Amino acid sequence: MVAKEVKITNEQGLHMRPAGVFAKEMTKFNSDVTLVYNGKRVNAKSVMLIIAACIKCGAELTIECNGTDEEAALAKAVELVESGFGE
Amino acid sequence: MVKGIGGSAGYGVGKVVVISDAKPEYVVKNITDTEAEIKRYEDAVASFEKKTQAMADTMRSQVGEHNAEILEGHILLLKDPGMEEITKSTIKGGTCAEAAFESACDMFIQMFQMTGDELLQQRVTDINDIRMRMLKILTGTPDVNVAEVPAGTVLVATDLTPSMTAGIVKENVVGILTEVGGQTSHSAILARALQIPAVLSINGIVSKVHNGMEVALDGVHGECILEPDEQQKKEYLIKRAEFIKQREMLQIYKGKETVTADGEKLMLFGNIGKPEDASQVLINDGEGIGLFRTEFLFMGASKLPTEEEQFAAYKQAAEIMAGKSVIIRTLDVGGDKDIPYLGLEKEDNPFLGFRAVRYCLKNEDVYKVQLRALLRASAFGDVKIMIPLVTCVEEVRAVKALVKKLMAELDAEGRKYNKDIEIGVMIETPAASLIADLLAKEADFFSIGTNDLTQYTMAVDRGNARVSYLYSAYNPAVLRSMKHIIETGKAAGITVGMCGEAAADPLLIPLLVSFGLDEYSVSATSVLATRGILSKWSKKEADELAEKALSLSTEAEVAELLREAQKQ
Repeated sequence: MVAKEVKITNEQGLHMRPAGVFAKEMTKFNSDVTLVYNGKRVNAKSVMLIIAACIKCGAELTIECNGTDEEAALAKAVELVESGFGE
Repeated sequence: MVKGIGGSAGYGVGKVVVISDAKPEYVVKNITDTEAEIKRYEDAVASFEKKTQAMADTMRSQVGEHNAEILEGHILLLKDPGMEEITKSTIKGGTCAEAAFESACDMFIQMFQMTGDELLQQRVTDINDIRMRMLKILTGTPDVNVAEVPAGTVLVATDLTPSMTAGIVKENVVGILTEVGGQTSHSAILARALQIPAVLSINGIVSKVHNGMEVALDGVHGECILEPDEQQKKEYLIKRAEFIKQREMLQIYKGKETVTADGEKLMLFGNIGKPEDASQVLINDGEGIGLFRTEFLFMGASKLPTEEEQFAAYKQAAEIMAGKSVIIRTLDVGGDKDIPYLGLEKEDNPFLGFRAVRYCLKNEDVYKVQLRALLRASAFGDVKIMIPLVTCVEEVRAVKALVKKLMAELDAEGRKYNKDIEIGVMIETPAASLIADLLAKEADFFSIGTNDLTQYTMAVDRGNARVSYLYSAYNPAVLRSMKHIIETGKAAGITVGMCGEAAADPLLIPLLVSFGLDEYSVSATSVLATRGILSKWSKKEADELAEKALSLSTEAEVAELLREAQKQ
């Protein structure tokens, strides 16, 4: 398993559009991808769960990837967060 | 007579079919063979996917991409890993598939509502729609088949969901009545796309009608008569026939160029108040957006909309218009438009007071946010900035200087924008009209706002019944001003448009043709009619009429001349 701590910087937080982009990209990997936020574990391939987790701008969370392509999945996840999901 | 909102124009007389959205009933059972129950759930999901995809395909060919995408989105929501995980784990705990799925839906709705994000309200509607259809599949309840209603049906429902409307045969449905929904609701968009008259937001309509009841509806004024008498039915049927005839006549202008009778090409744009209205302009064959009023973003909010929120709205309009002109007017606050959180003081003469560009230049923090959002949106289409209520050259220079400063900021941040973005001036005050030559040196385009220009030129408060008789664009003073603005702008080599109601006025159009107006911006529903009128006038005929009109001394004489000259 690989993991990294990240900070959400886009103004709206992980609302509908970025959550959709994130889940869609993560679904492309075989590995399990989990967001650990506020002590909760969220399946990062689920738009619904990401939105429901209500992750706002400034939130600090850990991304965990576990599986055959975990390195690539984590790299992509971090890239998406750091680019502010293209916003 | 019951009242609602006109959601789709037209008239209809027919018999009610109520589309019930009562939830299918089922008994909550304890499950021992949870494996089989999970299989039953998976089968239902597969069946849902198949049915929904078929509906989406029908939608795509009937009413277009957007509605089809909503339905395809439902498949994704249902198959979302989170949704699946929670439903299956509840089933494993011994709950039947119906109850397990419902509890997952409830959980997500509750979580969405807790986020307080208004955009997620639409997701709640989607989840409830999915829930209803999944329960019908799981319990084996047959759908009300909208595709099979008889000719002359008026559909009545609390709200029309995308799935309910997928099979509508537009030849058989003469009207739609709902309890909820506004101009931009799914029901309204769909009704307009299918050209079915609709009255929305009628309080308690579902309980006021029953299957087979006769109703007559008026989607233009948002009215409906329950159990109309013979006379009323006849009246509505005549209106219906006239409306349809009129619409068909206008269809001949669809897909045509906007040209005068002697072949001069003109621009015909639409006015909008919300980004999604841009689709209506396109559907009605508008060639661009001549006025995007941005106040809705500010008036509908409880605090200043962020740069991201504004950017998303401007970008959406730019993307819908796909490279066509999108002229966006910066915040036109004040006058009769109050926005509480901006903290404007009450004034004795608000129309002559601290409003529009005057407010914005004194509140740079507010204005910067909007200008940055506009600049960023300019990377996604032909966005142009329009400054309202200009009265002197300094105002235009100040806005341009601010834009330049913000461009440097965006460069430093590495953000994209159109470096050659056009900045235009709205000409709506006598001062701007008189110095049109000076303003033309600063501006990339003019757009005449006839409502304010008339009001300020005639020094008349159009809301004051005792003086409102003076409020008319046919006044010689207003005509001369319009002529002067257009000719001055053209002489300076910039585009001159008009975004007030006058641009769609059949009486005034020949004069505008004569003056040389380049761009007509009208409401989406007036686009085809305006194109029709423009096509009937040649420059020569228009010049002859304009010469006569300008030789007259009174508003009444001008109005009479224009009425007589009107072409059918």
